[in-house]
Amino acid sequence: MTRSMSRQKSRHFSRRSVLGLLGAGIAGTALAGLPRRAAAAGGQLNIYSWPDYFSTDDLAAYTAKSGVTPAITTYNANEILFAKLNSPAGAGFDIVVPSSGWISQLAGKNLLQPLDHSRIDFGALDPSLLNRDYDPGNKYSIPKDWGVLGVVYDPDAVGGEIKTWQDFFDAGAKPGASGKIRLTKAPSETVGPALWISGKDWNKATVADIQGTRDFLTGFAKHVKTFSSFDPQALASGAIVLAQANQAAARGALLQNPKLKWVVPGPKSEIWVDSYAIPSSAQNLDQAYDFLNFFLSADIQVKETEYLGYPAAIAGLKGKLSADTKLPDMIFGGSGVDFNALTSYIVNPDTVAAYQDVQNAVQAAAGG
Amino acid sequence: MRGVTPTARTSAHQRIAVPTSDALLAGIPAAWLFVFFVAPLAFTVFFSFGHSTFGGIAPGFTFDNYRAALSGFYAQSFLRTLRFAFAGSALCLLAAFPTAYFIARHAGRWRAAALALVLVPYFTSFLIRVMSWQILLARGSAVEMLLNFLCLHSGPLDVLDTQTAVFIGIVYAYLPIAIVPLYVVLARIPPTLVEASRDLGASPWQTFLFLMLPLARPGVATAALLTAVPMLGELVVPTLLGGDKGVLIGRAISSQYIESQNYALGSAMAVLVMIAVGVVVALLARLTRGFMEVAP
Repeated sequence: MTRSMSRQKSRHFSRRSVLGLLGAGIAGTALAGLPRRAAAAGGQLNIYSWPDYFSTDDLAAYTAKSGVTPAITTYNANEILFAKLNSPAGAGFDIVVPSSGWISQLAGKNLLQPLDHSRIDFGALDPSLLNRDYDPGNKYSIPKDWGVLGVVYDPDAVGGEIKTWQDFFDAGAKPGASGKIRLTKAPSETVGPALWISGKDWNKATVADIQGTRDFLTGFAKHVKTFSSFDPQALASGAIVLAQANQAAARGALLQNPKLKWVVPGPKSEIWVDSYAIPSSAQNLDQAYDFLNFFLSADIQVKETEYLGYPAAIAGLKGKLSADTKLPDMIFGGSGVDFNALTSYIVNPDTVAAYQDVQNAVQAAAGG
Repeated sequence: MRGVTPTARTSAHQRIAVPTSDALLAGIPAAWLFVFFVAPLAFTVFFSFGHSTFGGIAPGFTFDNYRAALSGFYAQSFLRTLRFAFAGSALCLLAAFPTAYFIARHAGRWRAAALALVLVPYFTSFLIRVMSWQILLARGSAVEMLLNFLCLHSGPLDVLDTQTAVFIGIVYAYLPIAIVPLYVVLARIPPTLVEASRDLGASPWQTFLFLMLPLARPGVATAALLTAVPMLGELVVPTLLGGDKGVLIGRAISSQYIESQNYALGSAMAVLVMIAVGVVVALLARLTRGFMEVAP
């Protein structure tokens, strides 16, 4: 994940989130304030995270238990987190929540400290989310919640079932779907599917490989209607009939329009894992580990999942959700999602500009 | 200014008292400008000649960033942005002129109220105003129903995420700042001049073309300036109403700074935009010179 645009929390993927994101985009790196110092009986804890990424009830419960009121500052893009931690203004945070793709960059610049595994119960977490290639051995990160890249579509409009990314691009060129397609703004999620079709790995792709997708993708761009954030209303009204989305956003659309279908296309697709990490400059380690253990406890993980619409990382979570949860499978990426076919994008300074250049070219070509 | 300085100098009493308070008064905004405008600008210029490291800058002196910013994709984005600002500003003026004319010359005692109505939406958040158009232009909206009812359109309305929606949003967002300067110049044109023109046999069209328009020139230039300059950096309206298609230079700069972490190229592009804005301002400033000449 390189842009939060493509994966806002399900409860407010609509206009409200765009407001917040744009606000941050405009105010940008400059305004994302300094850590606010929280002073309380139990000490202080400074968290730098995505907006509205913890349930307020759970935060209140933590304060009641520990006497610490966490001071939460927010960012809207991993790039901003990176720029901030990489500058003197980034000192003083005790917990940050980078996405999987940025952990090696942050750790490589010594901006994160190795976790003390004796202070965290990793055994309770879902093993399929641990020891993944973006952070072997979970040296720096603990999974917080996760999502997959998939496609939500109207089978009547696209004239059939979508199983692979090739099907996605073929369907998009058909008259029923052309001009009614939503792509994400994340360069990796635009270029990635084109690389996977030709059997390439998005983390090993060379600049030439990435540039090689440009003609194909700019050719497809004329069918694209929007790169804006996912809007379930647009799928309900038929303004969009084929859209890249994460499972939580797609679930919102499926709840409104049961005719829609969801698929995580093959041969490969993305899993991103937003993860807790502790910056090197953290001052309040006791409070940080205490907070993490509280939020990794089973009942809080269930509450956080129901609040965010994204699955938390605890093992056996599905069985713990309340019985009246609608489309529970969709929270976990849909039935039959194959974790072995999911890969996490890892930001590489050598290729990041090439990805972005293709994305810009595609968005420009879509504008005619 | 020329009129003020000699008066200040004539009084010896003032000469002693003034410098400290003057210096202080001038010093506050100067310091503010230096810290929040000149210094960041200097950094931007400095960065634009450097070498980008991922999320950082290695100081240096190279024109490579400018070469990249002026070639291929970015040059096209730049031209696209110029066309966009020109078209948007022209549309704004077309819509603003008749409105300002009506308020200035026909609104009578409702003038103040009419001006207030124009300006009130401008005090609302820019984002809120633009986002409201998402609701109005989406499928199944009230506008769609109204257009269908009036037989001006049939079927679903698919305007959102198109260039048309972007220009609707742009004109709407910038209209108030185009109306105000036009209103000011049009209100200042003495009715006697119009009467004289009619007496001398000019048709209403000739009066407009050879009297009103030349006298309104400074207002036209000011309105063009106030709309075109911000449009050169416009980022919000194309994102919210245009589906983020057709990358404008503001978006391209932000993608260099944020996504690509290439501060050097982003800075070079920003410097080029500032130069372009400087040229536009200088050209239009020549036209606004006559603003003071219009008799009250």
